[in-house]
Amino acid sequence: MRIRQALNGLLATILAILLVRSGWIGAVRGRTQTEISFWNGFTGPDGRVMLELIRRFNRENPDLRVSMQRIAWATYYNKLMVAAVNGRGPHVFVIHASTLPRMNRAGFLEPADFLFGPGGVPEQDFEPLVLRTTEFGGRRVGVPLDIHPQGLYCNTDMLREAGIVDERGRPKPPTNREEFLRAAALMMRPRGSPSPDRYGFALTHWQNNYQSVFPQFGGRYLDERGDADLDNPGNVEALEFLGSLRTEKRLIPPPDNQLGWIGFRQKKVGMVFDGVYMLGDLKRLEGLNYVGAPMPVLGHKPGTMADSHILCMRKGLTERERDGVARFIRFLSENSLDWAEAGQVPARRSVRNTDRFRSMQVQYAFSRQIPYMVYPPRIVPLFEMGLEINLAVERVIRGRMGAKESLRIADENAQKAIDRDRAESQAPGGSR
Amino acid sequence: MSPRKARAMLGWAYLLPYASLFVLFVLVPIVVAAYLAVMQFDLTSPKSAGFVAFRNFADAWRDEYLQRAFVVTAKFAAMMVPSLVVVAFALALGLNAMPRGRNAVRAMVFLPTMFTVAVTGILWQWFYNLEFGLFNFVLKNLGLAPVPWLSDKNIAMPSIVLMSLWWTSGGTAVILLAGLQNIPRMFHEAASLDGADGWRGFWSVTFPLLRPVVLFVVVTNLIGAFQFFPQAQLLTGGGPELATRGVVQYIYETAFNGYRLGYAAAMSWMLAAVVAVFGFLQFWLMRKEAS
Repeated sequence: MRIRQALNGLLATILAILLVRSGWIGAVRGRTQTEISFWNGFTGPDGRVMLELIRRFNRENPDLRVSMQRIAWATYYNKLMVAAVNGRGPHVFVIHASTLPRMNRAGFLEPADFLFGPGGVPEQDFEPLVLRTTEFGGRRVGVPLDIHPQGLYCNTDMLREAGIVDERGRPKPPTNREEFLRAAALMMRPRGSPSPDRYGFALTHWQNNYQSVFPQFGGRYLDERGDADLDNPGNVEALEFLGSLRTEKRLIPPPDNQLGWIGFRQKKVGMVFDGVYMLGDLKRLEGLNYVGAPMPVLGHKPGTMADSHILCMRKGLTERERDGVARFIRFLSENSLDWAEAGQVPARRSVRNTDRFRSMQVQYAFSRQIPYMVYPPRIVPLFEMGLEINLAVERVIRGRMGAKESLRIADENAQKAIDRDRAESQAPGGSR
Repeated sequence: MSPRKARAMLGWAYLLPYASLFVLFVLVPIVVAAYLAVMQFDLTSPKSAGFVAFRNFADAWRDEYLQRAFVVTAKFAAMMVPSLVVVAFALALGLNAMPRGRNAVRAMVFLPTMFTVAVTGILWQWFYNLEFGLFNFVLKNLGLAPVPWLSDKNIAMPSIVLMSLWWTSGGTAVILLAGLQNIPRMFHEAASLDGADGWRGFWSVTFPLLRPVVLFVVVTNLIGAFQFFPQAQLLTGGGPELATRGVVQYIYETAFNGYRLGYAAAMSWMLAAVVAVFGFLQFWLMRKEAS
């Protein structure tokens, strides 16, 4: 008897779950919801901010239900690519502007031109440079959510202790080469020691650090034909300067993975170059006093590297899903000031021109670099080129090779990857 | 149904759960990898996918990065396997000789094997940190110069081997200990009566009787060493200057960062061929040992 009762109970529970899951109850009440899946790589504190935005959107749009899947960036694109190429991808997802060329060629991105204009997001509210990253063959494939330039983080206590202050006694981040070198030297403790306990400056991600510096020396990735041009004079000069910080001036610690950032967090490094997105990591720390500032001009003109999160949708959506995704993208774009709190610079000018954004010290300081920031090249084999740049920088800062020779090798290998990609994208087994 | 047939059916029923998973997660991927290896299959340009016969293999044969990765993998195997056997053997002999408390010590020795490679990697990353890590903190306090554990081309690989030893030697020691405990006491007693104690007893009695177990340990760890990947991925990311980027990491990067699945599959088959050689070697040696 008991078994029978238990079985009846189980059956009733299963039926109830099936009814709820089928959406039938909602349909009867006249409230059918359209499910929108949203994938991104915001696994840090930024994910919590995004989750809050989604909750708000779901509350304000009862006919839609956005569910977010967060996957670490390290494996995010693999999963997105495999799912989307097979037509099983999420409805809406985030792609870095630098990754867009390869995702676009994979053929699963829906043109997003209809998202701009009346009733959508205003085109004129974006910098042309940022919008251009989303354009392929005259069509746009997404809406920029933010911009994340590389910039300078400074420990204000260490600056003050080293006497690097303005006329009002406030810590003053360096703005040019001379001030930068002086600050790096003055913050080192003990000064001039071969094995100091504290450094004034340290590299974080060598590849990003270098790419943030070489635009200042007139460097570039590609020539006018789209071929690799990594060993151009500007790139060489920038790498020589970066290498000299270790090999000649002995101002920075020997290169080690993540050393600079860990050191900055632990108050053992006074200045680092990194992205605005690292702010979320710093906000969790207690007792670390810091400011953000634009990259100091180490070369001949201002410059830095940047990237953007682009909101894209996949092909093959139903009309209702397309409409839901469009509303969701518009909502995120309009509310990107909240998103900025997570450590981002909003892509929309009107959002940046608000008092609230100006009060976000680091984000606002980094945003001042927008007029001269540089995006990575729009090529499919960017991973291969990035690896070569990384190796080239590593060889130089370890003092194993001169900048010119190191970049020549990188250029040669990057060109091979570009040639192979060109050949293979034309036909199977294209001549390599 | 005859009892014999019923028993056979029961046998198949027992096998079914494992067999279905084996087919799904081993056999099907092998077939897919074989198909991909002769295709140009780049996820970023599905339109240009097509049959290229052995072109991927020919390209891989000439690929300097793959050659370097094979050298790195061989270096890891050459450092790791002998040191593992020596360390695990020492641990097993020590444990075997303990009159009391053996189980507690064995549990402690085995403990690191229970950690996942991710936990182990993150832990050792902090130990090895150049400026702020535990090891260099100790060295600095002893008045010694800090060691660039993971950032020097010549030290990075031994550092990874050291972490791998800490992680795996407990498990190998337990296997060797089981082998040691299976040796009948009378052999040791007879050898002792003949004056073969200590090292002489070890080389004349213990080691020969333990040879099948040692052979198993050597070959399985050698095969494992050729799949060297997560330790380096976590500790060095393959650096400095690719000095610790093994074959599996290069295959992974080609497939999942470059999205060149066909080329990566061809490289996987080349690695599989090398591993198969060691598999057959083990099979041959064990048969020889048994006969």
